[in-house]
Amino acid sequence: MLEARDISVRLGRSVIVHGVDFAAKPGQLTAICGPNGSGKTTLLRAMTGDLPCTGTVTLNGRDIARLAPWELAAMRGVLPQASALAFPFTVLEVVEIGLSRGRAAGQTRAAMQALARVDLAHHAGRPYQSLSGGEQQRAQLARVLAQVGAPTDADGPRWLLLDEPVSALDIAHQLEVMQIARDFADAGGGVVAVMHDLNLTAMFADRIVLLAEGHVLSAGTVTEVMTSETLSRAYGCRLQVGTAPPPGTPFLLPHAARLAAE
Amino acid sequence: MRRRSFSAIAVSSAVYLALGALGAALSPAEAARGEADTLAIGGSVTEIVYALGQEHRLVARDTTSTYPPEATALPDVGYMRALSPEGVLSVGPDLIVSEEGAGPPETLAVLEEAAIPFVTVPGAFTAEGVAAKIRAVGDALDASEAAETLAAEVANEIEAASARAAAHADAPKRVLFILSAQGGRLMGAGDDTGAAAIIELAGGVNALEGVTGYKPLSDEAAAAAAPDVILMMDRMGDHGASAEELFALPALAVTPAAEARALIKIDGLKLLGFGPRTGAAVSELATALYGD
Amino acid sequence: MVALTDPAALDAPAPPDRLARARRLHLWLALGLVAISLASLTVGATGVQLLDVVRSLARGEELSRMEQVVLLDIRLPRLVMGLAVGAALAVSGAVMQGLFRNPLADPGIVGVSAGAGLGAILAIVLGGLLPPALLGLAGGHLVPLAAFLGGWISTLLLYRVATRRGQTSVATMLLAGIALAALSGAVSGVLVYVADDTQLRDLTFWGLGSLAGASWTKLAAALPILLIAVSGAMLLGRSLNALALGEATAAHIGIPVQRMKRLAILCVAAATGAAVAVSGGIGFIGIVVPHLLRLASGPDHRALLPNAALLGAALLVGADMISRSVVAPAELPIGIVTAVLGAPVFLWILLRQRGVVDL
Repeated sequence: MLEARDISVRLGRSVIVHGVDFAAKPGQLTAICGPNGSGKTTLLRAMTGDLPCTGTVTLNGRDIARLAPWELAAMRGVLPQASALAFPFTVLEVVEIGLSRGRAAGQTRAAMQALARVDLAHHAGRPYQSLSGGEQQRAQLARVLAQVGAPTDADGPRWLLLDEPVSALDIAHQLEVMQIARDFADAGGGVVAVMHDLNLTAMFADRIVLLAEGHVLSAGTVTEVMTSETLSRAYGCRLQVGTAPPPGTPFLLPHAARLAAE
Repeated sequence: MRRRSFSAIAVSSAVYLALGALGAALSPAEAARGEADTLAIGGSVTEIVYALGQEHRLVARDTTSTYPPEATALPDVGYMRALSPEGVLSVGPDLIVSEEGAGPPETLAVLEEAAIPFVTVPGAFTAEGVAAKIRAVGDALDASEAAETLAAEVANEIEAASARAAAHADAPKRVLFILSAQGGRLMGAGDDTGAAAIIELAGGVNALEGVTGYKPLSDEAAAAAAPDVILMMDRMGDHGASAEELFALPALAVTPAAEARALIKIDGLKLLGFGPRTGAAVSELATALYGD
Repeated sequence: MVALTDPAALDAPAPPDRLARARRLHLWLALGLVAISLASLTVGATGVQLLDVVRSLARGEELSRMEQVVLLDIRLPRLVMGLAVGAALAVSGAVMQGLFRNPLADPGIVGVSAGAGLGAILAIVLGGLLPPALLGLAGGHLVPLAAFLGGWISTLLLYRVATRRGQTSVATMLLAGIALAALSGAVSGVLVYVADDTQLRDLTFWGLGSLAGASWTKLAAALPILLIAVSGAMLLGRSLNALALGEATAAHIGIPVQRMKRLAILCVAAATGAAVAVSGGIGFIGIVVPHLLRLASGPDHRALLPNAALLGAALLVGADMISRSVVAPAELPIGIVTAVLGAPVFLWILLRQRGVVDL
């Protein structure tokens, strides 16, 4: 379980997140959605331990504020929105950075497997800085996968915390990455992802937490949360939700306000 | 790229080694020794050694030892406050005679370890001071008789020149010694400097009052000093400013010295060395000031 | 748990292992270091030859006083000092470049150089004003002690300024360092004004750097600090790699970032402080050595740090050989040699890197 209770985050003078409760179960992909500035990334960063916040966050039953960085790292991997690299490491070396101490022979293999998963195995020897933005994002995902895939003493399911994992990717790789997240959840891991793309969310997520202005507007299964009224209210524009095959999966079309005669 | 970088490192290391070895190979060969066994440190010390007729005792000198010109043919162990221990040892001295202020202390400690006698001679900016210096050098070189003679000579010279200059005690000239005028910035000599002492001996008055040591002068301070005469060192090749350039500076243009175009240049070591030529320096300066 | 096997894609071969190659470089650099050390004991203005000394010892003869002094009191302490200072500067440079995520950082960036320089100037110009009891205690080592102290105080100051709520911002440290350097420059300027001729000369020579002052006393004080600091820095390899991805990501990977920063700053302040204190201002080793090594064998800090220590030591000893030889029996300040050789190398590196890396 990843549980956050009564989380408030203050940045400077303003309060970005107000008293938010959040819960995610392993085996599920939980999406955090909402308009820009609603506090999605801030909430995620509070749960990864980056930002100081009031309230408690527990991961696999343990209060993260009491955990050392390496204990947390054994339980969860974090995929950031963007990643600059200061020195000319190769793609493979970047993936290996996430792995535990020592130079076990298995490390390179695990890293290569992770790279294969994100379709970058053939680029393993290239300088990371020569990759495109989308390729760099996939390389980072490989790093995170390698990190949470490494054997460890910690018990409890492993978690992936993803901050807009597909924003820079083309449609094929978007689907591929979301599938990887889905497979991870299906295998028993927990996934929490900040998502912009509502259609992808509908396709791959189990639950959505919808934020607006730092508060939880709605939380529940995909079908429960993704209704026209709820989404229109959250995003402040006219949105129409329909369903498409496979049956029961909602999708939405943005509506031009002028056409909203009904 | 990697291969080339490896070879770059290898090549540069080889260059380092080669240069080092080459430098070592080019070190001065051991001179024909004979009685040469002394290292002189300090321009005035070297001058005194030559004046005492003991130059055959010298194996090497330091950078400030530029007079007489023959001295520059000797190997140079470097600036006297930054001596290299192995460099000093390499010229094979059995005796080192030095002005005050040689260093660094670590080098002196190593020389002590090597049991090489190190004689420091006193240096005061007075006639007695010069005499004492000469005697000390003479004692170190076992030439005490010649030293006594020379010391007396020089002391008398200085005092005679001073006495002549004292005739003008009622209307002494104000003299401003300028160390350098680089880029229009003036460095002048205040109290407790060799320049101030020489000016005084020659019957002048140090125009720069209230300042100690060599200090940068503001334009106004230079004008307020109102010197009658500017005194500068005469550098070889004359890198110092010419009279026109100097008096064109706003700081000096309004001084009495500028009106009279009164600029005196005397060789630096002769003027400030406080050695055998000090008497001649005082004379020269006094004559230039008062025309006797 | 998650299965990451995708059989189809696994036939992509793994690229060559740069870390292993970089570690093989340890051996070559070590050999080079031994060679240059032996050369350094042999080369010198007095012409005392190491080989002759070894032969004499083998025959059971006693060494002449000259040979003893030259070898044991001049060349050997100088060699040890050069090795330690060279390693310290190079490793400090590599650590700072890793910490600030910038290949242009130099060891002095945490304020050590500014503070050490100020300490030295204070000692040179105002040292005479201290009560004789204190001077006696310093025992002629006032300048190095003051420089070391100055380096520590300024690093501590910068650290305090840049650390809020237990988090150190390296960006703040950088900017505060610029301010500190300016302040230190101003105070130095005043001291330069007040200084007399001989003090000015001493200042200048101190700034140019020299290993000539190497003595067993100085080594007794400086060597333990240098060794401990350099060894401590070796622990930072993995952390610095992770830091290249950014501090947040490094923390996510499990690196205790704040602790690691403290260790890095501590080691660099100690190493650079001690190095500058005993040998004055020697430049370029801290910047150029890590760069050369990154070009040659990659940026992995686990190999970079030990290689930097070896190469830095060798280069400084080599530079010292040159400084002792080219104008013998006088000596060129070593800072001049490292600058003359380092600047063109640095330019060459920058030119090569154009278009490959966005600096």
